[in-house]
Amino acid sequence: MKVLIKAALAAGLALSAAPSFAQDAVRIGALYPFSGGLALLGDESFRGLELAIEERNAAGGLNGRKIEMVRGDAVDPNQAVGEARRLTSVDKVSVIFGTYSSSLSLAATQVAELAGVPYFELGAISDPITERGFKNVYRTNPTARIFANRMVDAVAEAVAPALGTDAKSLKVAIIHEDSLYGQTVAGYQQARAKEVGLNLVETLPYSAKSVDLTPVILRLKSAGADVVLQTSYQNDTVLFFRQMKEQGFKPKAVMGAGGGYSLRDTMQAVGPENMEGALNVDFTQYRTNPKAAPGIEEFVKKYEAKYGTAPRSGHSLANYMGAKVLLDAMAAAKDLTAPAIREAVMAVDVTEGTTATGWGAKFNEAGQNERATPFLMQWQGGELVTVFPADAAVAEIKTGIGAE
Amino acid sequence: MDVLVQLILNGIMLGSMYAIISVGLTLIFGIVRVVNFAHGEFLMVGMYAVYLLSLHLGLHPYVSAVPMVLMLFAVGALVQRFIIQPLLGADEHIQIFATVGLSTALINLALLVFGADLYSVQAPGVRQPLSIGGYTVLHAQVVMLASALVLVAGLHLFMQRTPLGRAIRATAQNRNAAQLMGVRVDRIYVIAFGLGAACVGLASALISPLFPVTPTIGTYFVLTAFVVVVLGGMRSMYGAFLGAMIIGIVDSLSGYYIAPDLKEVVYFAIFILILIFKPTGLFGFGRGTE
Repeated sequence: MKVLIKAALAAGLALSAAPSFAQDAVRIGALYPFSGGLALLGDESFRGLELAIEERNAAGGLNGRKIEMVRGDAVDPNQAVGEARRLTSVDKVSVIFGTYSSSLSLAATQVAELAGVPYFELGAISDPITERGFKNVYRTNPTARIFANRMVDAVAEAVAPALGTDAKSLKVAIIHEDSLYGQTVAGYQQARAKEVGLNLVETLPYSAKSVDLTPVILRLKSAGADVVLQTSYQNDTVLFFRQMKEQGFKPKAVMGAGGGYSLRDTMQAVGPENMEGALNVDFTQYRTNPKAAPGIEEFVKKYEAKYGTAPRSGHSLANYMGAKVLLDAMAAAKDLTAPAIREAVMAVDVTEGTTATGWGAKFNEAGQNERATPFLMQWQGGELVTVFPADAAVAEIKTGIGAE
Repeated sequence: MDVLVQLILNGIMLGSMYAIISVGLTLIFGIVRVVNFAHGEFLMVGMYAVYLLSLHLGLHPYVSAVPMVLMLFAVGALVQRFIIQPLLGADEHIQIFATVGLSTALINLALLVFGADLYSVQAPGVRQPLSIGGYTVLHAQVVMLASALVLVAGLHLFMQRTPLGRAIRATAQNRNAAQLMGVRVDRIYVIAFGLGAACVGLASALISPLFPVTPTIGTYFVLTAFVVVVLGGMRSMYGAFLGAMIIGIVDSLSGYYIAPDLKEVVYFAIFILILIFKPTGLFGFGRGTE
């Protein structure tokens, strides 16, 4: 009985203490997968947001008000919906930041839209997130279509000049794993290749669970493909590089769409000498010229000071940049209601090359940032270095695959 | 023409990989009459063990074949003794659930211990292409084919020439009659399950240099292995071997001539046609086998 009374008293105290604490603080939701299979990169994404908010609080918060984060753990789309409901109705956050994974974002944004709470997407790439006519969903990072366009454009703007030929004379092939990710990116690539008039000789889907990609490679070989664009996970990337070497297929360039291409493990499994020269389009990574991405070095320092390791991927940086842009917008808004925030976000105008990712920020009516373009990177000597565009590059683009 | 020969060569090499896995699955199904859904996960366990042996003791994957065969034999025998045996009298579905459960448990255990990253075994020289008249095969693939042939021949001799082999065949043909003749059926089951798993042990050592290991690597192989087993007539080792070769070649040819993402469609279509027109499988022994 005594215990019960104590508990009740404690609860009462907590309740009475809560409003006075929240009065001057701005509450924001942080919705990421913190546990389960996506947890590693979900947490990595969250760290970028956390650093941006700490920085903001240290500089006096949002117009003098402290920012307080409420975490939501979205393991799968169902839980993303549940946690988004909790954040909007129980915790009454002003805005939600998230989400790393597209399927989680697609689910959670629906809840936020219905509740009229602005949703800031900092990392998920699926295009439909900002194509459903929602009024309160904004995204700072590039989408799958922008990835695909960058890959196709890079063939003309970076690969062909490096080879000293005309892009139209290159035979381009698209290969991709056949789940939603690969299908989406490859679809946009095909459209863009047609638009810019590239000579597309093959489009080959395959299962990411294939144990043998030799048929794919022999098809590419018979078609005489010069440039291969691949959208893939990890296992199939490893298999492709190994079997390409075994079958003696040496295209002039191979380019990945992030995914398996960005991971150090992939490079190690394939071997740095075999991965040499592989091109990759992804969120900004750390071997990027700081002149084109001012603040990138400071970000790494802050990150290391707080978490004791180097950043595990570019996700934290992308989230950091997005959070900073949107916190500035919130500070500029006349209040924190959804219409006022929309007005402020629409007024954002950040030129390219002035943020830590090198991206700019200008939102269209749908809420998508139109100034976010991923860079072209290349594996050189076991490191993933930015090679294009020139002002972001730290190394010259090389041609060919595999060390000579 | 060149491409065709290369594709067929490649299909045979792929087939020999499926053969080693499928022969094990056939042994378990043909003798113990249990559909082992954890077969692919046995492979995964074996591949992690090969990786650890290579990392810590510097063992070449081929050298680890010996400990792997022994280890997987023990794993198989223990699974039969402590999981399947208590359920032998139970409904077939219960046994299936037991092996499915085991499979899920093993995948998640691997996720817990090793994480989702992939690990690659270093095996110098094994991945070197070998050029035969302009066609490419890997050393590892030649070893795989030779091992598959030796395995089937060895099992054939064992089944035909040894008393234990005869007892196993008797048990497979008629469990009750074998029991009446003094065969200790329970022990035979433990040995048969162990043998089936030991085949996967061999496979794990041979496959490790070719594929990096992840918690779900077993699922890449096992569905095809099931097709092979049914195609081969469920209980026939030789059927499984030939079935594996057919699937390997069909896989390779359809991936090139039709489309890489449609190769499963092609061999599952063949599979369905065979089930319709020859339900006992290509090399089944007719209705008398059941």
